[in-house]
Amino acid sequence: MSARPSQPPHPAPREPRVIVCAGGGGVGKTTTSAALALALARKGLRTLVVTIDPARRLADALGVTIGPLPHVVHVDPSTGDRLWALMPEPQASTRTFMEFLFRDEPASLERLFSNRLFLALSDALAGMHELVCMTLVARAASEHTFDYVIVDTAPSRYALDFVSYPPRLAALLESRALGFFGSLADRSGVHETEGAAAGLARKTAEAALARGLGGRLVLDLTSLFSEMLRVRERFAGLANQSARLLLGESSRYVLVAAPTGSALADVRFLARKLEKLGRTPSAVVLNRADVAPRAWAAALLADAQTPPALAMAIRQIEAEREARTSAADQMSEVLARHLASVPRVRLPFVESRGPAEIVLRLADEVASGLSVLAGV
Amino acid sequence: MSNPPGASASTQSATAPIVRPPLARVVLVTGKGGVGKTTVSAGLAVAQAARHGRAALVEFGDGESGLRALGKQRGVDHIVIKPDEALTRAASPLFGSGLFAKIALGNFAVKRMLKAAPALRELAMLECIRLVAADKPDRYVIVDMPATGHGIAWLRVPKQLREVSQAGPFFELCDRVVRELVSPGRCSPVVVTLPEKLVLKETLELCEAMENVVGLPAARLIVNRMPSEIAHEAVLEARTLGEGKQPLAAAARALADVLAAREVARREALAALDDAKTSGPALVPVLLPESPIDPSAKQVADWLLAGGALP
Repeated sequence: MSARPSQPPHPAPREPRVIVCAGGGGVGKTTTSAALALALARKGLRTLVVTIDPARRLADALGVTIGPLPHVVHVDPSTGDRLWALMPEPQASTRTFMEFLFRDEPASLERLFSNRLFLALSDALAGMHELVCMTLVARAASEHTFDYVIVDTAPSRYALDFVSYPPRLAALLESRALGFFGSLADRSGVHETEGAAAGLARKTAEAALARGLGGRLVLDLTSLFSEMLRVRERFAGLANQSARLLLGESSRYVLVAAPTGSALADVRFLARKLEKLGRTPSAVVLNRADVAPRAWAAALLADAQTPPALAMAIRQIEAEREARTSAADQMSEVLARHLASVPRVRLPFVESRGPAEIVLRLADEVASGLSVLAGV
Repeated sequence: MSNPPGASASTQSATAPIVRPPLARVVLVTGKGGVGKTTVSAGLAVAQAARHGRAALVEFGDGESGLRALGKQRGVDHIVIKPDEALTRAASPLFGSGLFAKIALGNFAVKRMLKAAPALRELAMLECIRLVAADKPDRYVIVDMPATGHGIAWLRVPKQLREVSQAGPFFELCDRVVRELVSPGRCSPVVVTLPEKLVLKETLELCEAMENVVGLPAARLIVNRMPSEIAHEAVLEARTLGEGKQPLAAAARALADVLAAREVARREALAALDDAKTSGPALVPVLLPESPIDPSAKQVADWLLAGGALP
């Protein structure tokens, strides 16, 4: 197969197909996303995997630097330069994003960075990192051509809120709310056009706010909003671009679970969230869900020559596998009842020395499920 | 009761038992998503109940995960706070009662802002915890904090907002949360993490930052999923068998691979713990063993007590 596949029939260049992977914490979502990306790259498809919540050990193992640029991953030489990874740094996000938003408004940017409220809250702004990630994806996709982009969301039930965050943010930015706060800060008398009743309402709300929050805080808050007003169009544009990438016609949603913790509840919760967005999950991946006993274990146990210490180790390993398998079976049954129409892809527990090896071995397992997971 | 396989790790030598400082009445359990916060929280609540008769487990969300982790444990109150309700509950007294409160909270812009500003959500959660603790003065309160991308940075929020607001009811709210909850002796942050080099390093950096910025040191470091020990003898035997020409050589090699991988995992976890050695006894990690399926809250409580998590 050539390094560049022949012109794919539907995705236009620069409009990659997006697969959003979501699930609770600790289910192996990042590893599964990387394995899926590797399996696609092995098929000759140029694939970018984006990790919202960077896993440092995996990044290290794949030779990816955490930061704003995509890197070619050479974990499997057969994929040439088709496998890419992007793992932006969450801590740097807000600053980077604001610098980008306010690139034509240096004075405004300076005021923003000295706003005490902004300084206090900037590293806690919800969804900001996700937006930064999607902006970086859009940039990467315009500089390199990708067939697939795998978005590995944050490990949370609310990870899909971020899918709907761009339109909600755009709605907020285009709404009266921002204008309202911005106008409170504006003392230049641009309210001449508002009627007496509207003016009274505004003044009353302002007084109530000042009473509750204190005058200085209201001033910080309102000037923050008035700075944001300057860049609302660019902000809304970015938000809409992210929404297009994530909620596009060809986007797919893969829910990842493992027989542990709240994974099952998380998957059902996420499926309901998707439904509200008018989307259905393409598949549920059941990670660490072995299916069959290991032949070698049984063979060794049956042999009288096997030393007792070894037999003990094998029994321990097999007992653990049985516990995992039965937990996975139970989970699979519940999923079959509640998400009957969603195909399940079971992946085994991989015993391995390091994250890179786990990705390589999981990619072998993922290969047979590619039609369900990626539609190829 | 089973012994935690992790308890024999080099950092927790059997010769000198570590005496950790007492925990405050309110314990905030935090850590990245997927490290096992909920299990540890439930285990801590059961352990505190075993020590003191009663305890409360506070959960933000729909209550599903606490219920699953707790099972049918007696002596533990399960308190569920819906995140949206936390906001209204904390914000209502802000604007006093009557007309002003209705106008301010009902204002379309204020509503949107409250929802969009995560720092306010975190402040509201802390205020709710303060209210629960004040409401139940006779018991230990264990809080399963929601996973946040920024470690324990949310503990800074009330102090920062207090500085920003300077006066008024909002200032008083922040001040109350700082004085009555986010202060040494008032609450103990318990950080749950994993025995991986980079994860541990990040966790310790965060703990240090919190101590310097908030003046609230982490009270415990709980390292979850410590890989169990594999008898080295077994690995050697599997290798020897694998080198032979008998029919089972291939099977023995497959086994040797699995055992070797586990041995490496154990060795790397121990090396990571060695790397992360800390000075104070509070942060000498309490180790919990890896388990193929979720352990019960009772099991985790036993591990925590055996590991000296509660002095």
